[in-house]
Amino acid sequence: MIVRAFAPALVATFAVLAASAGLPAFAAAPPGSTAPDFSLPATDGRSVKLSEFRGKWVVLEWVNPGCPYVQKHYVSRNMQTLQRESGGRGAVWLAVNSTNPSHADYLKPAAMGQWMTAQGAAAHATLMDEAGQAGRAYTARTTPQMVIINPDGKVVYHGAIDDRRSSNPDDVKTARNHVRAALGEAMAGKPVSVASTTPYGCSVKY
Amino acid sequence: MILRILLHAISLALMLAGVPASGQPVRADHAEAELIARAQALVPGKPATLGLRIKHDREWHTYWINPGDSGMPTTLQWKLPPGTKAGPIQWPTPKRIPLPPMMNHGYDGEVVLPVEITLPADWPVGQTAKLAARADWLICKDVCIPGGADLTLSMPVVAADPAPDPKWASLFEAAFAAMPAGKVPRAEATTAAGIIALKLHGVKPLPGREVYALAGVEGLVESAAPQTVKVEDDVTVIALNVTSNLSFTESRFSGIVVGVADKAMAFEAPLTGKLVAGKGIEEGGAKPQKPVAAPGAEDLSLALALVFAFLGGTILNLMPCVFPILSLKVLGFARGGGISAMRINGMAFAAGVVLSFLVLAGILLGLRAAGEAIGWGFQLQSPAVVTLLALLFFVIGLNLSGVFEFQSLLPHSLASATLDHPAADSFLSGVLAAVVASPCTAPFMGAALGFAITQGTLASLLVFGALGVGMAAPYVLLAWFPAWLKRLPRPGPWLATFKQFLAFPMYATVVWLAWVLLLQLGPNAIIWFGAALVLIGLGTWMIARPGGGAWRAFAALVAVAGVVIAWPGGESAATPAATSQAEGWAPWSKDEIAKLNGAGTPVFVDFTAAWCVTCQVNKKVVLETRAVRDAFAAKSVKLMRADWTRRDPAITAALAEFGRNGVPVYVLHAPGKPPLILPEILSERIIADALKGL
Repeated sequence: MIVRAFAPALVATFAVLAASAGLPAFAAAPPGSTAPDFSLPATDGRSVKLSEFRGKWVVLEWVNPGCPYVQKHYVSRNMQTLQRESGGRGAVWLAVNSTNPSHADYLKPAAMGQWMTAQGAAAHATLMDEAGQAGRAYTARTTPQMVIINPDGKVVYHGAIDDRRSSNPDDVKTARNHVRAALGEAMAGKPVSVASTTPYGCSVKY
Repeated sequence: MILRILLHAISLALMLAGVPASGQPVRADHAEAELIARAQALVPGKPATLGLRIKHDREWHTYWINPGDSGMPTTLQWKLPPGTKAGPIQWPTPKRIPLPPMMNHGYDGEVVLPVEITLPADWPVGQTAKLAARADWLICKDVCIPGGADLTLSMPVVAADPAPDPKWASLFEAAFAAMPAGKVPRAEATTAAGIIALKLHGVKPLPGREVYALAGVEGLVESAAPQTVKVEDDVTVIALNVTSNLSFTESRFSGIVVGVADKAMAFEAPLTGKLVAGKGIEEGGAKPQKPVAAPGAEDLSLALALVFAFLGGTILNLMPCVFPILSLKVLGFARGGGISAMRINGMAFAAGVVLSFLVLAGILLGLRAAGEAIGWGFQLQSPAVVTLLALLFFVIGLNLSGVFEFQSLLPHSLASATLDHPAADSFLSGVLAAVVASPCTAPFMGAALGFAITQGTLASLLVFGALGVGMAAPYVLLAWFPAWLKRLPRPGPWLATFKQFLAFPMYATVVWLAWVLLLQLGPNAIIWFGAALVLIGLGTWMIARPGGGAWRAFAALVAVAGVVIAWPGGESAATPAATSQAEGWAPWSKDEIAKLNGAGTPVFVDFTAAWCVTCQVNKKVVLETRAVRDAFAAKSVKLMRADWTRRDPAITAALAEFGRNGVPVYVLHAPGKPPLILPEILSERIIADALKGL
């Protein structure tokens, strides 16, 4: 009986130990490297595993609705347009929110999902990376930050969404959109001319 | 010469005529911005120093030319009269702003970004020059807001020798004092496998200074990665990690290096070798100043924290606040009914204890989630709670002394209800035990519990649960194995004597809490507190006298009056802190530590609180001894004390940087080294060993 009384505490201890042993370390995913796999809950509750999409092109977008740089690309509809375009070409778009629940910018899954819907976003799924596991695996520094993964599971582009490092929505008109360019080149079997850039924006709120 | 004096007189006359330099500060989100000039007038054809002044709100910052992992450099777009030239922003050496796991570079407080402006040589003297610029920046705290302002500045124009503007003299001086000075005579950089070896010829690390390089552009160096420094003859080699988001394509690498001269120095190095992306941010790499624990103070793993919490809970039973109540509870078992009834009581008691601890942890986590900068021990940072606890201990003491019986305090219905439901009675005993234990957890287990709080909700609740389980464990065991009770002395007349004796640890606890109150509220509060004790003593004594309902109501009124007069009026913030500062100990200041460290002086910080018994023991037994004070003096260590007796968000934040949320914490800040955290239980030996490293 005593054992039974303490058993839950012991089980919980081991569960937490096991979880902490598996804490994600920081890694990077530069172009040419294998994209680190992850499994995250989407805002609608289903679980999404990156490796499920092996054989397809995948675009990862780090997102935080509280960030003015993210707002720039949603207010200008730049991001939604890119999502639809990529989807039209058969790519799977995954938005990842790595904001820690303790941060003021954090949105609960439902609220995050609603925000994406309200923006008219066309992501395949919006993933809640509350522990920052996927963010760390990709060294996501900023929102937005973009990664393109080819059907073999290799990173072909990693960095900024475009070359106008500002928060002004008007700048998207004159910017070179690195993601559109890289996805176009890569899908056409050409080498990606600009495969690695320095992302810009707000820090990811780990 | 005569001409110069004449020109000077003319320029003076012009200024007196009412055309002084004039600009307008513009208020933007979390900052004020203004165009300012170092001199009171411009001279045609001569470069003049202007500046963008940004005054950040506290804790907000803007960015250097290479902002680091996130952020945006501040920009200026000039709108100048034809022929007028503006140079680039001259960037003062930025601060490194850790944003774990990342690193940014920027400025806080009030800063000036100087720019050189030259009017055309044929500009007519006496004609005001109207200068305008659009400034854009990103200002961040934990969130970021793009900011900007349209700024103007009208400057009188004189023929020569304009006087400096005294209003801005010190700001410009500070900006130029912080400017990198000089260039490393020769520098070269080679790269392979995601590492850059930056070789700086002819410079050496200054003793006691941390040496690091900052790349002048984004997209090359991993800002948060630790840098290793080697010195080979007269060459200083700094190994830098290449960023995982590599976008650098130049063949020359320039930036600044800190720690090889009084001021930062610029370097420009040809970069050879194959540039490939680095491994990204390594865990923990974001804090080059990541505190390290001294031997014996390793970070608690959760498993260990749970074990400690369990043991701590068990030991709590022996603390002066808990022991009297619980020893009586144990002896009460001996009078208990059947075995199954005892087991139910034991479990009910355990449930009361564990639930109370979880509720307490829940309150703390909830308050923290709501943005309160508090930590474990928060319950003792509130004078109201300390007062209530002290009065509760006093009442329990009176009860043990035999002044009155608890039954006489309760309405009859409630008293009989507890008798009818012994399990409920046990549960309430558990709650009471946890409440009386709460002041004792902070003093003895503050650091361990404070650690737990920083580890997330689940871990915190587990640790507090383990504490409760540990505290309840002896009773659950006794309830299950009542045979053990036979070893305890049988109740008898001695029990009354023993019970009366147990009142004294209670009174001792009252004295200790009174001292905490004294430090929190000042001496006057203690008079009221003392008067409250008298009134409560009188009231409870009256209740125990024979008398009717009116008499008992009157007695209760007297006791309640005691609580009312002792109630601390409002928060203690109005009263000056009666801190536990002692001679030779300066009040803690983060800026001061940085300054002293910058000047090569080590700093030892004692994070303490009056209600923290461990802190007081360390102070008396170690820190204030002759030997230790001499050891500090021998190494010219500056001593600082951070007093957390009352709530202090700045100290709470500082504790959080060390992964703590409770006191004591002892930290040695040696110049150029990460802060060293010493164990919670100090000894002269530990201090001596830590000082050896200086």
